[in-house]
This record gives sequence, C-alpha cells and structure tokens, in this order.
Amino acid sequence: MVPFEYYVTLSLILFVIGLAGVLFRRNIIILLASLEIIMNALIVLFAAISFHAKDISGYLIVFFLIGMAAAEAGVGLSLAVLLYKKLKKVYVDEINFYRG
Amino acid sequence: MNWNMLIFLYLAFAMSFSSFLAIISRNPVHAVLWVLVMILHQAFLLYTLGSEFLTAVQIIVYAGAVLVLFLFVVYMINLRKEERWKVFVRRSSYGFIIFLFFLYFFFKNLAFLTALGPAFKAQLPYDLSQGSNLLWMARYLYSHYLFQFEVIGCILLVVIFGAVFLLRKLKEVG
Repeated sequence: MVPFEYYVTLSLILFVIGLAGVLFRRNIIILLASLEIIMNALIVLFAAISFHAKDISGYLIVFFLIGMAAAEAGVGLSLAVLLYKKLKKVYVDEINFYRG
Repeated sequence: MNWNMLIFLYLAFAMSFSSFLAIISRNPVHAVLWVLVMILHQAFLLYTLGSEFLTAVQIIVYAGAVLVLFLFVVYMINLRKEERWKVFVRRSSYGFIIFLFFLYFFFKNLAFLTALGPAFKAQLPYDLSQGSNLLWMARYLYSHYLFQFEVIGCILLVVIFGAVFLLRKLKEVG
C-alpha cells in the first residue's frame, strides 16, 4: 500500500506544474489546459484521501469535480473563441482591450 | 518494493513528465495531446485507488469530451506556432524564492499533515465486501449528495445556454 504522503506530493507537483503553465504561458488554449492540470491535482488528492480514510465522500467530490471541469472548459473555450473572433488574438498579453 | 509502489511510481512519473511537456510545448495540438496522455495515466491511478467507476467517468468525460472540445477549438481558430518566448511575468525570481520557501514549509510539515490521516473520521463509511464501489457511490449520491448532484446538472445546463448565447450574439453583430 502506497503511503499517503506520496499522493500528496504527486498532487503538489501537478498543482505547481499547472500553476506555472497559467503564469508563464501566453496562449489562452494552453492556459485553459493548465487549469485542467490543476483540477487533476485536486482529483488525485481527493481520491487518495477517500482511499486512505475509507470514506466515500472523496470519490463523490471527484465526481463533482469532473463535472465542474467540463463546465469550466465549456465556458472558457467559448470565451476563447469569442475573443479570437472579435480581436483575432489568442495571446493574453496582446489582449489589452480595456486599457484606457 | 512491491508492485503497488512500482505502478504508483511509474504513474506519478508519467503524469508529471507529460504535464510538464504539455506546458512547455509550443504547438497547442501537442500540448493538448500531452494533457490527454496525463489524463489516461490518471484514470489508471484512480483505478489503483479503488474506484473503477471514476476511471470510466474520467476517460469518458475528460478524454472523450473535454479534450476533444479543446482539439476542436485549436483547429477552429487556426493557431500559429508561438515564435516569441518572452517571460510573461516580470521579476519572477522573487516568486521563485517564495516558492522555495513554501516548498520547504510543505516538506517540513508533511509528516504532521499526514499524521492526521488515521484520525479522519469516516462520515460516510463503505465496506467493499458488502458491494462494489459503484454501488456505494450510487447509494450515497442519491441520498446524501442529491442536492449537489442537481446543482451540477443545473450548472451544466447553464454552460450550454452560455456557450450558445455567447456565440450566437456575435453572429448578429458581425
């Protein structure tokens, strides 16, 4: 049986990689994919807690998280398509539409 | 070193490496395909954590719906490769120092955090000898978590309306 610390460390590594993707990339598609990586870190953490505590709640929260990730991807990608159709840009540092 | 540990180490290495490749690849199609590799490994990790239903949901929803949506948008808006490789956040070295501090704090207190593990009080316990994981999930999903389940359904409905509304209004303007 794998210790619980290993799952927490894996979750932390995935979270940091996703956060670096959100902070350092400029392409809005890869930015949304990095948000998916952050969601996957949460999924690993909740499933590991549920497995080690013999409690069903973590699995159910994982189920809700997968639904939330689908909703987030739908809204984010429709906004990305809207931005591209309006401004012809997908790089977040070139989008300075609201700068006065 | 038993088989569980070997499988976990392989899955952890594959997930970390493929997500790292996903955020450094310049072509967005390659990035989305590396995220797909990460999600398939994570589905198997959920299987080793004892939930075969979540494996199926992960593959169907993530790999079947979300990643296909990503690929669809990437092909639709016809991205070019990213030529410039400019650092987006200036003065990131300060942030890196703060990150190292928090990493030290994390590993220093990891033993304390996980010592709480056996003290987790199981509010909704399950027994795999009484039925499969799917049976227990269904039993609690439709009794304790019924309201949250309905809320997720409403959120997905609002997402469908929002996507249709956003892209339809643009057509009237342009």
